[in-house]
Amino acid sequence: MRLEIVSVILGMAVVTFLPRFLPMALLSRWTIPEKLRWGLEYIPVAILSAIVFPILLSDGRGIPGVQWPFLIAAVPTFIFAWRVRSLWGSVILGMAIYWVLGFFL
Amino acid sequence: MNPGPFKEGAKAATPIILGFVPVGMAFGVLAQKAGMTPWEAGLMSLLVYAGSSQFIAVEMLSGGSGWLPITLTTFFVNLRHLLMGSRLSLHFKRSSLGILSLLSAQLTDESFALAMAEPSKIEDRPHYLLGLQVASQLAWVTATIGGALFGSLIDRNGYGLPFALPGLFICLLVLQIRSPTHVGMMILSGALALFFRWAFAGNWYIVLTAVVTSVTAVTIEWVRRKRKGQALEGLEP
Repeated sequence: MRLEIVSVILGMAVVTFLPRFLPMALLSRWTIPEKLRWGLEYIPVAILSAIVFPILLSDGRGIPGVQWPFLIAAVPTFIFAWRVRSLWGSVILGMAIYWVLGFFL
Repeated sequence: MNPGPFKEGAKAATPIILGFVPVGMAFGVLAQKAGMTPWEAGLMSLLVYAGSSQFIAVEMLSGGSGWLPITLTTFFVNLRHLLMGSRLSLHFKRSSLGILSLLSAQLTDESFALAMAEPSKIEDRPHYLLGLQVASQLAWVTATIGGALFGSLIDRNGYGLPFALPGLFICLLVLQIRSPTHVGMMILSGALALFFRWAFAGNWYIVLTAVVTSVTAVTIEWVRRKRKGQALEGLEP
């Protein structure tokens, strides 16, 4: 292993660890104000929407535009997950649709 | 160590592993193409364990960047974990700092989202989350090394593999929707993310979206309670 690469890896390890660890360590020991708690309630839905919508509706550089294969596979995945509540089943269904679409689009 | 919850968590990681294997292999292939050895790529997956930052770092390394710009970029790309760590901390009020440091070192978007799909499973059960995360990271590190060694032999764009992680995120999003307010926040966040991603370069859009959505949610809840309070006051004789 080369020092140059290892120093990059160690630098990255430190700066990825701190934002992961500090709130876990501090907030788990403090009493959290009620208003902050209300805000944290919607963090998961906000982060997941922020990841999913740009995948479906913008290209790799962030320019808005429908990504048809992803969107066509996403709709049945969404409905299946809503009705059946199965993580496995929905992901496999979506992958299968995306795979088949690849032969037509 | 508590083997029951640990095993249960490791089993629950299966959908994440399905998504991590092709992406980890893709990372291994690119790292190897950028001049890293399979062991260096594996060490990065072990110690850094942050998908998008690792791809960016490899891209920057092959462009000749040094450790300072790569480290700074990584820091900003991963700031969103501040919010996830804050949310997770609500469930681990009684855990030791030792296990919390392990849990936070392995925090990813995927394990966070999977844990949030059923928060009751992680409530004061750090070993469940530990099992889930250890299994996920094991898949990520193994896939990285495997990809760097043999990746060029497999078609990573076949078999619907590019949809594995987006599909997982869609399901986890669905599982988060528990009230009409959640639907509203989903639509708001989706629109904000599309705008922020278009307007600002880099990975700021996730942090910005999460902050604006949370502030909106707090304001709505505050107004709601104020109105309720006024209605109750009005009822009193």
